[in-house]
Amino acid sequence: MAGFGTVGQGFAEVLALRKDFIKERYGEDARLVCVMDSSTYAADPDGLDPLELVARKKSTGKVGDVRYQDSVEVMKSVEFDLLVEVSPTDVKTGGAGLKSITFALESKKDVITVNKGPLALKFGELVSLARKNRCKFRFEGSVGGAMPIINLCHENLVGEKIASIRGIFNGTCNYILSKMDNGQTFEQALKEAQQMGYAETDPTNDIEGYDSACKAVILANSVFGRDVTFSDVEITGISSITSEAIALAAANNMVIRLIGEVSPTKLEVSPRLIPKGHPLSIAGTLNAAQIVSDLAGPISISGRGAGRKETASAILSDLIAIMDDRKRT
Amino acid sequence: MLVNAELYVKDLPGQLVDSLTPISMVDGNITAVVHDREQIVNQRICVNVTFEVADNKGLDRLKAIWKSKDVMIARMGSVYETHTMEYMLIGKFSAANVEKLLEEASNVVSLESSDVSYSSKNATSTRTAMITAEVLTPEDLEKLDRFFRSACRESGIVYIRGL
Repeated sequence: MAGFGTVGQGFAEVLALRKDFIKERYGEDARLVCVMDSSTYAADPDGLDPLELVARKKSTGKVGDVRYQDSVEVMKSVEFDLLVEVSPTDVKTGGAGLKSITFALESKKDVITVNKGPLALKFGELVSLARKNRCKFRFEGSVGGAMPIINLCHENLVGEKIASIRGIFNGTCNYILSKMDNGQTFEQALKEAQQMGYAETDPTNDIEGYDSACKAVILANSVFGRDVTFSDVEITGISSITSEAIALAAANNMVIRLIGEVSPTKLEVSPRLIPKGHPLSIAGTLNAAQIVSDLAGPISISGRGAGRKETASAILSDLIAIMDDRKRT
Repeated sequence: MLVNAELYVKDLPGQLVDSLTPISMVDGNITAVVHDREQIVNQRICVNVTFEVADNKGLDRLKAIWKSKDVMIARMGSVYETHTMEYMLIGKFSAANVEKLLEEASNVVSLESSDVSYSSKNATSTRTAMITAEVLTPEDLEKLDRFFRSACRESGIVYIRGL
């Protein structure tokens, strides 16, 4: 596992929590043979205890005793068959995550990631690499956290022609806009979001729509088979939304929400006017999406877009899908 | 074809049903009825009905039946579908700017109707306008979207549209 922050630790806890389930379903454990945080790693070919790793990280701030510079060198020294890549997102270069994923796929290892940066920048290359090397490459948790949108489109709606996906893909923006619905100014709502831990100290990625744009790119490439990157998204953030705009929308029985829209021809993130009561008018930190397909019509889903256990749940679903696949073949 | 008709029937029990039954007699399908007892002309009450009928032949038969039943047809016309979209503009502009924008928009697409409401702030500071526009086709809606997006970008106005 590359990355041992909130999501990594959450997944370690979920692995411990579902140990018996995995053993019963596959007749063997899912062994965690190496875990890297930003500067150290721990490795054991017989398997590490996930809860001990979490405890160590909490008490010392480090997951292992051995320091490292290059994640690829660490991976070269370990025998593994699947990489869970959960390091911090870098939407400008793809960062260490892109390097680790590329190495794992080149080495014919399966990969699960929730890291939006590499997917938003190099989706086509990574998928081609996975196909070429017959690796499984899954990334459900990268869009909507626990909201199962990618696998829903790929697996449950596999016979449908999906016309469009519109959704709220950033809980921080939704929290801010919901607070503005209740009379707060943008600045007040942002400050509160920061105090609650929903927004970063530098909230640019969220409020300018960059985070949602990454997710729109992932959906465009993975669901619609497009070949687009972050720079192809038309982005408008929410920082220009005024209290007057919110009030005028409310007077017309509407709310303003930051919506990502993806279709075979559209790729956009922008604030939109949503009628009250519409599935995309939800308040708080939830994510929501409406998928429109030819046979099923509109399908609405919502769920927690971020969080320790929530994102780990998406990684677990990808892990089970890969293990099921391996069992079949 | 979808048709809207304004009928006037005598203010007597059973007249409403009598005016609507002929639609079924020509295999028509009623989609909406408004029985407006406030609108009375020559002691007749207004019935506004929207219905689907197969063709003009069916419509002619219906008109003949209504005539035979002493149902007065005040107005009749085809109903066409329209598409409505809301646009919100945030920035420094006046009502005259928005009027001009709508005028330019009507050169791009055929606007069936438009309505504007404003936030209460004056033109010297940031204000907000909400435009509701009605057009005939989804293609016109796309054109209108493109027009507003481009015009607002040029003027430095934040533009938010409906779903």
